[in-house]
Amino acid sequence: MKLINKITAGRIWRSIFRTGLPSTNYRRSLVILNNFFLHLHPAKVKKSSIKFTTTFYLGGLSFALFLILTVTGIFLMFYYHPAVPLAYRDMKDLEFVVSNGKLLRNLHRWSAHAMVVTASLHMLRVFFTRAFHPPREFNWVIGVFLLLITLLLSYTGYLLPWDQLAYWGVSVGTNMIKAMPVVGDKIRFLLLGGNITGENALLRFYVLHCVILPLVLSVLVGVHFWRIRKDGGLQAESAGRLSEKTDLILGEKTNPRKDESLVHSNSIRSK
Amino acid sequence: MNDDHPVKVEFGDDAQVTQTRVAYVKGDTSIAVERERDEEVMTFPHLIVREVLLFEILLIALVLCSFLFDAPLESIANPEHSPNPAKAPWYFLGLQELLHYFPPVVAGVVLPTLVVVALVVIPYFRINLARESFWTGDVRKKFTILSAVVLPMNIPFVVSGAVPIYSCSAIIYSLMVLPVFLPRGRGILERFRQCALADWIMIWFILVGTVLTVIGVFFRGPEWRWIWPWIDGIYY
Amino acid sequence: MSDSAQQDSAFYSRRQFFVVMGSGALAVATVGGIALTGEFLEPNVLYEPPNKFLVGTPDQYPLDSVFFMAKPQIFIIREAAGYFYTLSAVCTHLGCIVNWKPQEGAIACPCHGSRFNKTGEVIAGPAPKPLNHFAMSLTVDGYLQVDKGILVDPEVILKV
Repeated sequence: MKLINKITAGRIWRSIFRTGLPSTNYRRSLVILNNFFLHLHPAKVKKSSIKFTTTFYLGGLSFALFLILTVTGIFLMFYYHPAVPLAYRDMKDLEFVVSNGKLLRNLHRWSAHAMVVTASLHMLRVFFTRAFHPPREFNWVIGVFLLLITLLLSYTGYLLPWDQLAYWGVSVGTNMIKAMPVVGDKIRFLLLGGNITGENALLRFYVLHCVILPLVLSVLVGVHFWRIRKDGGLQAESAGRLSEKTDLILGEKTNPRKDESLVHSNSIRSK
Repeated sequence: MNDDHPVKVEFGDDAQVTQTRVAYVKGDTSIAVERERDEEVMTFPHLIVREVLLFEILLIALVLCSFLFDAPLESIANPEHSPNPAKAPWYFLGLQELLHYFPPVVAGVVLPTLVVVALVVIPYFRINLARESFWTGDVRKKFTILSAVVLPMNIPFVVSGAVPIYSCSAIIYSLMVLPVFLPRGRGILERFRQCALADWIMIWFILVGTVLTVIGVFFRGPEWRWIWPWIDGIYY
Repeated sequence: MSDSAQQDSAFYSRRQFFVVMGSGALAVATVGGIALTGEFLEPNVLYEPPNKFLVGTPDQYPLDSVFFMAKPQIFIIREAAGYFYTLSAVCTHLGCIVNWKPQEGAIACPCHGSRFNKTGEVIAGPAPKPLNHFAMSLTVDGYLQVDKGILVDPEVILKV
């Protein structure tokens, strides 16, 4: 205990963790503001927005799943060759030879399914609470693309085990692209790197799944979070249930219909 | 000011313990600030603790799940033989079920594109942010318009024999219309009466998506024939 | 200022000139970059199975038979009258491999329930087109040859 105290009071420790465990509100806000990983948060949040029933934490769950998927995915990459028939053999290895390989693969697979579910539910929650109101319109659009990329990630990952399930699921999907007028054949050719679902297709799906799509997703997630911050923070109590409150800052009631720029969830009142 | 919500102001001598707001800047800032102040709490610990707990619970649940259920792995890919039936991942089975009714151009390209476009433009139609009930104003006129729109829209589905889609439309349509013919009451019917049009459209969309996916996962067997999962087993 | 502006109104000012040149160059570079990337992503050599191959001699196939070849994904069909034709085994709907059902005399797709008759015409299901017919020929030394690169009309048959 004494040693721990000595270390945490020492110069090196304090150069890394500047704030320490806070005892005052000022220092509590410093914990957030001085930390790279936490600084996307504001120092204070509305009480109603951290209530479970306001958001069901679906966005946070999706992000947590993305983190888990990134970590488990990177571990899986250590044992995976994107080549035919090595890919399938690696799957068998992961299942029967590699220590805890099966657990890792299961985790990756179930998290992927869960992320599709939570991201979709998150979208529905945002819709039904009208949380896409101005100025958050474009953040909704980013969210739609995040959902699409989630689906694409899941789909490109589906081919990688190179088993019957993967092969035919992807074959059916890529033939759907073929149905697109004019550009369909070309897009399919580029996506598969050939005319058949073969070695080239596996490699391309691997690169998309492990590099391109996660990168795009990370960037968009960053923008998504940043805009939430800029547009007034997390969703507060949903509009329908809010009782009439006065605007403490201006000291008067704001009428959303008079001034469009003031429209936000809390100022839309049920009469 | 509203008496129910007296303004609470924290006071303190030590500025480091209790921060006191000195001035409000009313001019434009780069941030679209919420004008209203709900009751606030410090992010640390309140929000951070919740985030950490959420992550831990999620991870525990996933690890338990991974111990109990194994991810599927079939035999090695064989381009010479399609399994019977060949099913896509579950989140695309709704789409695959659509492919059973419509040509690939419609089911694989036109409909998904329409869905994505519809989702993207939602916030730009500033429809009914206050979520006003559909049945406000001239009920008779609205009923006529609704019927005149819903019925022709479902003709293509009826023509192409997409039973799940037009049955869902029928269910939603009756749920929308039913409260009008019944006396005002309480409970679930009144909830239906209060529901906004945009919400109805979304509920229809969710219903169609869920029904198609469930059919694709559980009710389709070899050669995409209709099966009963409790008799023939689940082909997934 | 206004004088010179009026004087030069027919010409670009120096700044406008550089803006136009600069953004023009940027546009050209962008288009060029996209084109090069596109070219790069399109493979020039494919290590895929060949389109043209021999499938044995005619007397290997009994009259009125349907023979499925798994690797090239084709049916070699010999009618009772003795002539040959080759059908693609790839469903025109979404590319699943179709199966010949001898009892029903039909070809069925396992994925979305399309059905074809023996000459490849759609009899049921969502398939938009009949199955492809591939060109067939007899080589000088008496072997049957199929060319998957050449599609032929359903009427084209190979009489031996």
